[in-house]
Amino acid sequence: MVDAQTITDNERWAGVYKLLDRNSLIHPEFEPQEEIKEFIQSCKILVIGAGGLGCEILKNLALSGFCDIHVIDMDTIDVSNLNRQFLFRRADVGKPKAVTAAAFINKRVQGVTVTPHYCKIQDKDEDFYSEFALVICGLDSIEARRWMNATLVGMRDEDNPDSLKPLIDGGTEGFKGQARVILPGITSCYECSMDMLSKPTGFPLCTIANTPRLPEHCIEWAHILEWPNVHGERKMDTDDPKDIQWLYETALARARQYNIQGVTYSLTQGVVKNIIPAIAATNAIIAASCCNEALKIATTCAKNLNNYMMYSGNDSVYTYTFEHQRKDDCPVCSTSATKLDFKGDKTLEELMDYLKEKPDVQLKKPSFAVGGKPLYMQAPKQLEEAMRPNLQKPLSELFSSGDELTITDSTLPFSLQIIVTFI
Amino acid sequence: MDAKTQKYDRQLRLWGSGGQQALESAHILLINASAVGCEILKNLVLPGIGQFTIIDQGTVTQSDIGSNFFLDADSLGKSRAERAAELLGELNEDVSGHWVAKDILSALTENPSFLAQFSMVVASDISRQVAEKVSSLCWTNQHAIPFVWVKTVGLLGTARLILPEHAIVETHPDNVADIRIDNPFPELSNYAKSFDFNTQDTLEFGHIPYVAILLKYMEEWKQEHDGKIPGTYAEKNQLKANIRSGMRSGDDENFDEAINSVLRSCQPTAVPSAIKTIFSDPKCETLNPESSDFWILARAVRDFVNDHGKSGGLLPLSGTIPDMKAQTDSYVTLQSIYKTKAKQDVQEVSKLVDAVLESLGRAPGSIASEKIETFCKYSAFLKVIRYRSLEDEYTQPKTKQIASWLSEEDSLFAQYVLLRASDSFFDDHGRYPGEGNDWEEDVDHLHANVATLLQSWGIDTDVISKDQTHEIQEVIKLITHQYIPMDNTFIFDGARSVSAVFAV
Repeated sequence: MVDAQTITDNERWAGVYKLLDRNSLIHPEFEPQEEIKEFIQSCKILVIGAGGLGCEILKNLALSGFCDIHVIDMDTIDVSNLNRQFLFRRADVGKPKAVTAAAFINKRVQGVTVTPHYCKIQDKDEDFYSEFALVICGLDSIEARRWMNATLVGMRDEDNPDSLKPLIDGGTEGFKGQARVILPGITSCYECSMDMLSKPTGFPLCTIANTPRLPEHCIEWAHILEWPNVHGERKMDTDDPKDIQWLYETALARARQYNIQGVTYSLTQGVVKNIIPAIAATNAIIAASCCNEALKIATTCAKNLNNYMMYSGNDSVYTYTFEHQRKDDCPVCSTSATKLDFKGDKTLEELMDYLKEKPDVQLKKPSFAVGGKPLYMQAPKQLEEAMRPNLQKPLSELFSSGDELTITDSTLPFSLQIIVTFI
Repeated sequence: MDAKTQKYDRQLRLWGSGGQQALESAHILLINASAVGCEILKNLVLPGIGQFTIIDQGTVTQSDIGSNFFLDADSLGKSRAERAAELLGELNEDVSGHWVAKDILSALTENPSFLAQFSMVVASDISRQVAEKVSSLCWTNQHAIPFVWVKTVGLLGTARLILPEHAIVETHPDNVADIRIDNPFPELSNYAKSFDFNTQDTLEFGHIPYVAILLKYMEEWKQEHDGKIPGTYAEKNQLKANIRSGMRSGDDENFDEAINSVLRSCQPTAVPSAIKTIFSDPKCETLNPESSDFWILARAVRDFVNDHGKSGGLLPLSGTIPDMKAQTDSYVTLQSIYKTKAKQDVQEVSKLVDAVLESLGRAPGSIASEKIETFCKYSAFLKVIRYRSLEDEYTQPKTKQIASWLSEEDSLFAQYVLLRASDSFFDDHGRYPGEGNDWEEDVDHLHANVATLLQSWGIDTDVISKDQTHEIQEVIKLITHQYIPMDNTFIFDGARSVSAVFAV
């Protein structure tokens, strides 16, 4: 007996079922099975981020036959999201992205349930993440990606196949982007590729303070040096137009004094918020690729991407698909410690500054220990104060060449083991 | 900041107000409200095109609702064009959407100039015959209308851009710095001479801009080498060594910057060959009253370059310099020296533009000064793409090139052949392969179509064995005339997650 619901399902998913009902020419090992169709309808899939990529990913998953989708996002909707985050309208500005996006999909696509989680990814534990068949990240933050990657890699138990959670990661910037598939413990992970990131942009403090040349230097002067001078303890809110206006005017006055052209409100906002240009078309391309991989992994109808696709649309349309290799000393997915050569007469603070900027490390507030003995701790406050003098000591006074340092950072769910050799 | 600037902030940082204006004056026609067609339109409505029109005679089916986000359960049985226009229109209150519930061919029969009102046409799910008809009307329209033809089949997608010519000024190169160390203009030489390398204190010495350092050592080099700049690798290394010997402390950052720029600065400043090609293009040689602003500007810049007395045989100076270690004053002075020279060049070019305009019977000043400025600034990076027509693709196949594409390992060109063959399949059967129930039989027929196609190109039929969704930024690049669109056919194979572009 074929019931009415099955008929509707078959009509509705006609496109997807053409791929799933037939022996494939592209992947001869694929065998059509009813279980596969049932699986994509019943499996739980998690989307991290309900922004530009997230909106696209949610739509694509819902139209690919996935029916139980969850989404996590801690942000609320801003007016500048509306040029690409198509599940939101002007009236939604200020509302939580996850909740609004989920409600839109649930209304538009019948039979699909998107469950929103208006919180940080760090608020959820391994029990939560272990419920999902796979995770797709559409994030703009390196920190969140590192956290998610390390969590999923850490959850993998080689004796339990269900513990393997494929992670599909998308990212865009202007006309460029990338999509990749991470099989924790099997392929290279996000941390393995940290050295592909460019150095965080920043200007030397002495340039900002003494020899400004660019409008950006004037803006950073207002941002880093003048704000605390004038406002004391009050923290700047870069989402508050009043604060941006103050920065703009302060930077403009400095630029006039030095005869520097080009300080605008828009540039001020761009510099202090580190704004990355974003358009709907690039998000659509990268999200399409991510969801294409999700469908392939969930159904095995074709081999999944192994494991990285770069995309660039500035000059013609160009993609480069390659296998990114695992890093032997990856702090997340391998067990061996990273090696670092550093001058023994440099201070712990200099080592800390170096590691903060190093593209494949990028620490925010690191704490240091050697052989279980703390060298410097960020918290609690009394301990930090007590250990602060160590920052000014040369490394050779604190430990010996060849010792293994343990570095922890509140933004990372793992610790770094670094063997430091004095040179 | 006004509401619109706030909304479009993240894209204005890419294409600026000029690109945005171009988008806002665009009217896009979408032929068929298919899933991929509506996705393309979504990505154009969001950044704020002026208008769109959807033409589609179909009514909404269950399968449409299952695959197209811009058709919902309430749309079942209603006009696809109408419902898609409504749901896409909701995305942006600044865009006005229209719809026509007709088949494109009957619309063209009723009104042969139907397409003339649009600035661009995007189509999906159309047969080859319809594509050929639309393509030829767009191509021959008084102002040629770019036509984008998209196909998706399973995990395979392809897009073809069809337009006679696309000329771009703002190609967004990574670096437009134009320093001219090899060939400094007088004001620049004087500036370099104003630094006394011997009497400066440590702070000043450490802040001499690297441009001045390079110029000093380059001038000394030239005096010792009959006015020639270093040419060989060894000579360039010698120049680096000379600069290094002038360092006081060994870690003078400004000297390091100078040394790092030696290789680039020893490339003689000249008109790039791609730009010479543009200058010798018949459209640049022979202007007429219909000539576009691009070609008028190209001609004026060419005339400027040819007037050695004014230009030294070089393109207008870009006026942009990179940041460098320097005191504020000396940097700002240096910057203004380059900017002033760039402005002088723009003024000279402007005179030539007016002369050209006058000779064509157009009013002097009718090309805005900002436009001339932008053209001069990017004149080393201009780009003209000439596309092949669909007709040429079909009637004059590039057989040698095709054979070479097919001989590459894992070539995506096989997918092009399959897609062409599926068009032939449609001609034979009135439907596409795989749409019927007997999939195996369709594969056999399709293979026969592949063989016929390959034979027509004189290629062995065994190069393609029997066992063997893309969205669009390209439209935005065409409308804004910024960044470089592809030439001319893009193929994405979602099974392998690889793509390629072919100029077929």
